[in-house]
Amino acid sequence: MFPLLSHRNHSNMATCIAIIGKDNTPLYLAISDMDKELDLQYRVHAALDVIEEKCSSSTKMNIESKELYLGLLYSTDNQKIYGYITNTKVKFIVVVDSGNVALKESEIRTMFRNLHILYTDAICNPLFSPGEPITSKKFDKCVRNILERQ
Amino acid sequence: MRSTVSFMLSHSGEQLAMSHPDYDQTTFHHGCLLVLLRGIGPSKPRSLQRIFEKVRRINNVKIIDSSGNTRDIWVRYIHDHPVENNDWGDFQTHRRLLGLITIGKFENQVELNELCRLHESLKVKYSNTLYDSRSILFGPTEVEKLEEEFKPPDNFKTRAFFYKENDSCGDLDGHITEFANSLFYILESKRLERSREKVDKFSLLQAPFEKRDFVGLDLESRNNKKRCVGRVTKNLADLTLQSGLIADSLNLYQAASETLSAINDSLWYGAAQEGLCAVSSILLYPHLRETEIFHRNASLQPTPMSSSSSSVSSILNSSSTSSLSNSANSNTSNLPTNSLHPDDIPQFYRKAIINYSKYSHAGIIETEAALKAARICVEQSKNLDVCMFLQNILFINVNMTELERIKRFEVLTEIYEQIGYKRKAAFCRRLAAWKYVYKGIPIPDWPKSYKLMLDSFPGYLLSLDPLEVIDNNAGWPTLQIDLLNSLISAANRIGHSHSALATRHMTFLLQTQWDNMSLSDQKERALQLQGLSSQCEGSPVPLVLENGIVIPPSNLTDIPYCLQIQVMDLENYMRPHKILLNKNDSGPFIFTPIHNYSSIDRREKARSKDTKVDFYWVQNDMCTVTIKLKNNLPFELTVSDMRLLTNGIVFEALPSTVVVHPSAPTTVKLHGTPLEVGALEIQGFSTHTLGVKSNCRLKHMKNRKFPNSYIVEVIPALPKLLAQTTLEIPPMDLLRMPGAIADNIICGAYISLYNGESSECMVTLRNESQIPVEHLDISMTSNVDNELVKKIIQYNESEIQAHLPIQPNTEIQFKVNIFAEADFLCPLQVISGPQSLGFSTISSGHASLPSRMSSPIPKRGGELSSSFRSTNSSSLNYPNSHQSTGNPNAHVVDAFIKIRYSGGEAMTAGYCRQCTIRFNLELLPSAQVTTWDVLPAETASQFYLVIDVSNLTSQEMTLNYTENKNILIEAQESCRVPIPVDRCEVDESVLQRSDELVENENGIYTPPPSLQEVTANACSVHIAERVKLNWMLAGSENHGIASLKGITLTSAMMDLIAVSPLQWVVSFDNTPVQPQSEVVCKVGQSLNLSVCVTNQSLTPLKQLSLTVQFYQDFLNGMQTYNLETRVTMSGSNQTIIPVLEKDKSASHECAIVFFTPGRFKANIQCKSLAASTTKPLPNGHINFQIPQPGGLSNAMSYHEMQSHLWKFIPPIELTVLE
Repeated sequence: MFPLLSHRNHSNMATCIAIIGKDNTPLYLAISDMDKELDLQYRVHAALDVIEEKCSSSTKMNIESKELYLGLLYSTDNQKIYGYITNTKVKFIVVVDSGNVALKESEIRTMFRNLHILYTDAICNPLFSPGEPITSKKFDKCVRNILERQ
Repeated sequence: MRSTVSFMLSHSGEQLAMSHPDYDQTTFHHGCLLVLLRGIGPSKPRSLQRIFEKVRRINNVKIIDSSGNTRDIWVRYIHDHPVENNDWGDFQTHRRLLGLITIGKFENQVELNELCRLHESLKVKYSNTLYDSRSILFGPTEVEKLEEEFKPPDNFKTRAFFYKENDSCGDLDGHITEFANSLFYILESKRLERSREKVDKFSLLQAPFEKRDFVGLDLESRNNKKRCVGRVTKNLADLTLQSGLIADSLNLYQAASETLSAINDSLWYGAAQEGLCAVSSILLYPHLRETEIFHRNASLQPTPMSSSSSSVSSILNSSSTSSLSNSANSNTSNLPTNSLHPDDIPQFYRKAIINYSKYSHAGIIETEAALKAARICVEQSKNLDVCMFLQNILFINVNMTELERIKRFEVLTEIYEQIGYKRKAAFCRRLAAWKYVYKGIPIPDWPKSYKLMLDSFPGYLLSLDPLEVIDNNAGWPTLQIDLLNSLISAANRIGHSHSALATRHMTFLLQTQWDNMSLSDQKERALQLQGLSSQCEGSPVPLVLENGIVIPPSNLTDIPYCLQIQVMDLENYMRPHKILLNKNDSGPFIFTPIHNYSSIDRREKARSKDTKVDFYWVQNDMCTVTIKLKNNLPFELTVSDMRLLTNGIVFEALPSTVVVHPSAPTTVKLHGTPLEVGALEIQGFSTHTLGVKSNCRLKHMKNRKFPNSYIVEVIPALPKLLAQTTLEIPPMDLLRMPGAIADNIICGAYISLYNGESSECMVTLRNESQIPVEHLDISMTSNVDNELVKKIIQYNESEIQAHLPIQPNTEIQFKVNIFAEADFLCPLQVISGPQSLGFSTISSGHASLPSRMSSPIPKRGGELSSSFRSTNSSSLNYPNSHQSTGNPNAHVVDAFIKIRYSGGEAMTAGYCRQCTIRFNLELLPSAQVTTWDVLPAETASQFYLVIDVSNLTSQEMTLNYTENKNILIEAQESCRVPIPVDRCEVDESVLQRSDELVENENGIYTPPPSLQEVTANACSVHIAERVKLNWMLAGSENHGIASLKGITLTSAMMDLIAVSPLQWVVSFDNTPVQPQSEVVCKVGQSLNLSVCVTNQSLTPLKQLSLTVQFYQDFLNGMQTYNLETRVTMSGSNQTIIPVLEKDKSASHECAIVFFTPGRFKANIQCKSLAASTTKPLPNGHINFQIPQPGGLSNAMSYHEMQSHLWKFIPPIELTVLE
């Protein structure tokens, strides 16, 4: 069954990094604990609602200063979910452990920025067609580095 | 938001906390009077439902109070109220149950008593808080006066209203209003009572769990005094709000919150803040109170909650958001200044919730507050705040039953849906579904879980219709698969009634998520499906759930995967053809873009995606569609009951079973019979595999370039003929024929004949169908010349036509005569024959010689007109490609008798069938005439045709060349035979006529054949008619005739063949010389020779040179003309006759003296000198290739045109004696 309230303290920087395409289909998923894959996927999926909301409200307010970082989308008992959106409406979602109190927001921002650079590098591959899942091994390796960095 | 500081004033001990959350609460309910509306008694017929509705509708009563103000009193009807919730009545007065209305139905006094008892017991249950109660009782219809007939028991102290069951209850509204009034006045009195209390007399109001916290505390302390005041003020504010004095309550809440915040009474401070929010929201959004009733009613209906509530809420949303600004703008002016700004309401709620969160026992209060806050935020379109509040709810650690937890998720779902957070809603629904079957639950509720999961489909971009899902191709495959898996297991667990659903969903999973699954998953699921379907077979029909949800059919369109589909034409000989009618006159335009083939039409065709096949199927005739299947599963797949899916006319599809192996594609042929006439649409095929019946339609097959459907035109039934011949060839040989001709061959005949041989063959046609053959049309084609094949194969068409119609299951027979027509004049090798055969066929330029094949047809050029007749018409131009392999010299003739037949309706519709009977003939060479020449015969009326006949067979041949003359020719040997033939009388009138222009059938002008040619033709025909070479092969029965048709002749030959235009009278000493006779004379004797020629022809002869010449013939081929010492002539031996008119004679006389005895011959001849030929060649051969100006040829007669040589035949023999 679904381990809704199970709680485990991870030393990882994040528990999950997800890249979601313009049409809200998953392009890439890196999960530190594969047992919780489904659980995390459900949560990341649910976070899309908040991202959409934030995007629609932010476009209303000011188009000029586009902040790519969306901040905390929502938090559950044991996870905090942060979002980031590129100008091409590709969404990055990072799930971190709520128990990781030491993690500062600036670190999360840095994480997203690094992720964005990696993503840009990955899709610069001329053989990559946008909208397809990212299967690059190099990209995966780098993202996992971010994921597991203490 | 949630503070980690908690449990400040609370103990975690005995559970006193309210444990029954009311998730439906909204902020507006703070101002409502709570009334329990309860049906009692054993029977709750549906007829009472309308009474419930009627009562519920009266939720707002306007009451004029003592001071003349209108009080707006709102009533909230609930159908269930745990008595423990009343405990929180001091904390928030709207939680108190104030009124009770029971509705019951009775048939007799006993039942009435029971109803009364139930009502009273409810009163007792809520006696602490209840102000008043009413009972609405329905009695039997037939009793006239209920109140008189039935009397409630004495201890029943409630006001009861009696109605008959079918009563319209017109006065009920009044009664309920009166009841509300009554409640109001009691409330009002309580409020006044409270407001008049002295400050020092205030008692400490407590929340249920606080009871023990204050035991032994000094209530007189300043802090506690303030606490009392604050709490009472808050309580009064609640009452004031309920009794309709909104502005007053606002002030009171404000005062209370100030007091309570000062002393850090967080719980009550929170309540005061919530009160402020409630009042403000009532002021800001008065319209919500009105719409709310509908919302509530809707949710109470036993209709599916999700659908109705979401639809209502969406209306609500749209109306409220639009009215929000209006009401906010218009109302702000009227609003009390201390009312909260709309933006502050969420803030206040947040603060209130933080305050509540400090108390673990206030969890439910907190939950409810969060929900209320969320609902207000929905109204304000602050979706992120909604999300925040709702998210917070999950943090609240409340001890409640699992069912309540589930309910919580369901409420969350509902609100998320209202703000359009489909994914969140789906997630919550999913959680609720899990909870229903969670381990902690004593009895897992699989049906509810199932339903919730089904409802969560849209959130994961799934639809019940697999086609939609495939088309969208969106969402998260992992989640979709997980959800479907859970759904399948839920459906499976529900029990037998839902196994069809389990099968359906598994089919759905395989159909929609195939590409998203790994190979092993695909295999596993497929096997699971097989297992599920063994319990309940899947079939492509919609399934309807109890709650009315229709699950559309799921089809395994790609198991097996269809690679290719091809609609097959009928077997060639079964194919219908249009009967060609006389072409309609369509005007002078051959093509018009306006008609059928307009470009607009074509574009439309492309758009419609229906492919119209360009052939026809025939009613009642089995037809075929070929399908190539691939199995993507790693095991053998048995597909049974596979048949075509069609639309349109009635079609009988035949089922077939196929086993598709995992490795190689399999081709399957699906058959069926159209039973009607019209358009048949082939949409796909149906399968039964893995225990599931599927309708695989082409339009649903993705990633392949299939049209939506194929449309085949079915024409009326046609008869079917089978044919048989007596010279049957095995079917294998029939198939060897290349190209289209081969396809509709239904039978054949093979025979090997020697040239000139003849045979016959019987053909039987049998009507295999139920329709008579009324029309039959026979034609013939072949690989050889059309004229020629008519000579080779002959049948009597009228005889066949006489047999018509061919009735069903009967047969007709006709005879085909076969004659091995050949050209026997074909030279095989260069014969360096005897010199006497002056004319070899090599120079005749026979057409069968390759070198001559390409030579211009002599007819065309005037300069060649005199050379030889065209050999075209009689020569056999057998294509070399059909040379049989066995005998290099054999010719193969392939002739096809094409039969077009029809009958019945199809004939009127203009269709027929076409079948072909193949005649495969091998023509072997037999006798061959290689060379020929013409020699003068012993009499003038005849000539000798000398021919070399070769026996080309490998057997001895008996050749019969005249009536009684036979000759034996060894195999591969050649013989020379002389054949006496009568001379040919060339009809000159024919020659005359041939001068006229000849127009052939194509209308192309061709120059007329020259006279020379016509004559040659006539001579040739003359010979062919008379000379018949009958041959017979020894050792076999084979016999035949070799004809000399088409023999070519030189003009020298023709002079011999044709009857001479000159009539000769030759006399020696006035004695005419008789043919075959001998003239005897003596040496030295002078013989008087007179030659007289008469022109018998129709034209005058000009420039005739008559010569007399003597020679000695040694009869060994040697002749000597050198006779100066032996004979002398007195007079000229040559004379010129300038013109010899018709029927005129000319004569020449001279005297001869022989000096030596011996045998001499006299050659008397008459030479006509051609007009332009100045020098005739001395050797007697005429050079016929001297060019002549073509323009002159017509002006001159035949005899003028050409040098001719006519001899007196036979030469006169003279024997000179001593």
